[in-house]
Amino acid sequence: MSSNAKAIKKSVHNPIRIDPDTCVKCNLCDWICPGDLIYKEEDNRETLPVIAYPDECWYCGLCQSICPVDAITVIFPDQMINCQTDVKTLLGKVIK
Amino acid sequence: MAHKWKSLETDVLVIGGGVAGCMAAIPALEAGLSVTVCEKGKVLDHCGSVGCGVDHYLTIMESGPEWDTPEFLIKHLPKLTDGIVDMAVASRVIHEMPKVVRKIESFGVNFKDPRFNDYYRLRSFGLPGTYHINFDGTEFKKHIGQRVRKLKGSVLTRTMAVQILVEDGQAYGAIVFNFRTGEWAVVRAKAVVLAAGEVNRISLNASGMAFDSWHCPYNTGDSQAMAYKAGALLTNMEFVETTITPKGFSAQGLNALVSEGAHFINKSGERFMFKYDEKGENARRAVIADAVINEYLLDNGPVYADCRHLPEDILDHMEATLQIDRYTMPAFYEQKALNFREEPIEVSISELSIRRSGVYFRGSGLAVDTDGQTSIKGLFAAGDCASVSGGIAGAAVLGHVAGEGVASFVPKMNGSLPQIDMKTADAIRETAMKHMEVEEERSISWKSYEDEIRRTVNDYIGVRRNEPGLRHALQTLNALAKREPDLKADDLHGLMRVHESSSIRLNAELMATAALARDESRTGSSHYRLDHPESDETNWKKFVIVQKGSKGAETSTLSASEPLAAAFDRKSSAST
Repeated sequence: MSSNAKAIKKSVHNPIRIDPDTCVKCNLCDWICPGDLIYKEEDNRETLPVIAYPDECWYCGLCQSICPVDAITVIFPDQMINCQTDVKTLLGKVIK
Repeated sequence: MAHKWKSLETDVLVIGGGVAGCMAAIPALEAGLSVTVCEKGKVLDHCGSVGCGVDHYLTIMESGPEWDTPEFLIKHLPKLTDGIVDMAVASRVIHEMPKVVRKIESFGVNFKDPRFNDYYRLRSFGLPGTYHINFDGTEFKKHIGQRVRKLKGSVLTRTMAVQILVEDGQAYGAIVFNFRTGEWAVVRAKAVVLAAGEVNRISLNASGMAFDSWHCPYNTGDSQAMAYKAGALLTNMEFVETTITPKGFSAQGLNALVSEGAHFINKSGERFMFKYDEKGENARRAVIADAVINEYLLDNGPVYADCRHLPEDILDHMEATLQIDRYTMPAFYEQKALNFREEPIEVSISELSIRRSGVYFRGSGLAVDTDGQTSIKGLFAAGDCASVSGGIAGAAVLGHVAGEGVASFVPKMNGSLPQIDMKTADAIRETAMKHMEVEEERSISWKSYEDEIRRTVNDYIGVRRNEPGLRHALQTLNALAKREPDLKADDLHGLMRVHESSSIRLNAELMATAALARDESRTGSSHYRLDHPESDETNWKKFVIVQKGSKGAETSTLSASEPLAAAFDRKSSAST
């Protein structure tokens, strides 16, 4: 496992914040998520949606775009916002 | 006790409900055929590869000038593709463009810019004319998806296909499972269209987050993997694609930047693109990526996209359309506290994908003929998994071509479809379900398995390749293949991911195999062999074709002056 994967395991960033007071528990975010990450109990107006697989988020924001009451905010993790990776490390290793 | 299967019959099974899949479904439905679309997502309202809307659409419109005719663009195809293109299929796609764009307009898509009540057409990516319509395509896919529903296409949502059924050289359906309900189904079909997109999640990127990818990370080359296992021919698998993204967020948006006039500058503030191409920032995507890679290798990084010189109205338009093909882009800039009007944007290359290597009309994936049919009878392919690809428009047009192909193929079929051997189906399901019962001590998580694939691709198969590196990569990938039965799925969602990981590994192996065969370099970093750094125009105006052999992937070549269909051998197919 890479050190990066270890870091993810240690503390998984939650990609979206759902405001529990605003959320109308309607199911649309579950319905639209292309990655099958958001699970909302159907026909239950009491339960909130759950981000079941936060580290598989694409940050596409479709959940935020469809939310009828603007209860969802996408929050980018630090490694995206303040990315410090040396781009040269993405350009391959050369073995003789 | 035998598993209780759900059993479905349909004339046409489409795997993947993106633009290509939906556009294939439409002509088949219009011809009166029954169509079932199998889709991992839950809706047909969004594009498969970009998830959101669309802001550019490449098309010929036959508006008058010579450049806007099929013949003019076709003449430029060899140059646009460095000579590796299936001219027969690409020409058919280009000829169909005007018809398809008007058909999409008839679904309710408005391609016109409200500022001018006309098409706003821009030039980008080395194309010899202003072929891209820049428009607000937020609702683009919604109209296409709605058309499929209106024509009464059936949709299996949250469903993944795991195997194509082929007997006597002819496809007749697939085995699929719903990863929400756990229900497994056998689907018998007279024709199958594969349209599940390109291969993502195959290499590392700047953020280090596997699912932070330019195109949809849930497109994992499932079509290519399933068809390869069924014996189909694939081509151009050696070519990788990368794009330029804001550092830390692999997202769409390069086309909007360069077509509106952004510059790329290096750490010294030098606008460097003209060193690499006379078209500057309007060069092909592959050339831009190659230039940025070179600047980083020359220690001229960081590289920035610079919009500061652009006039206010252009900046306003850019800002207003920033969210169209990635809804969260404005939020990213906001959280980063970056104002692109006043500051340059630090950029990186994105992760790699197997798609169309930064050039239009040279797709990496399943070889198809002019009807969109693969080398397997009754098995069609379109979009980013096929050998002619061209962004959203390529997906729309080749999808439509494949749909017409299916509509003509199905009525000509004689005899009945083979019965599905339920013992074989049970065995396939049992093999899959074993991933949920792997003993703890020998289990591997699909995440760490994929990490190893990505690191291998990144280090030895990526943008700088040589024979020792590729052989080393193949060794690692073959060793990983042997461990595949130990992949552990914690739940049904995980079972889907395990199958994706398997597709990703297989596609990486095919890429390394094809890259080893092409002992020359072509299209910059799309296929750069350090041990063969020059293009060999005498010996390598050829396609590399990959197919399953008795001992693994085998390669052959075909002159690029031939259509790929010349390599098809459907003679062994059962007569219908």
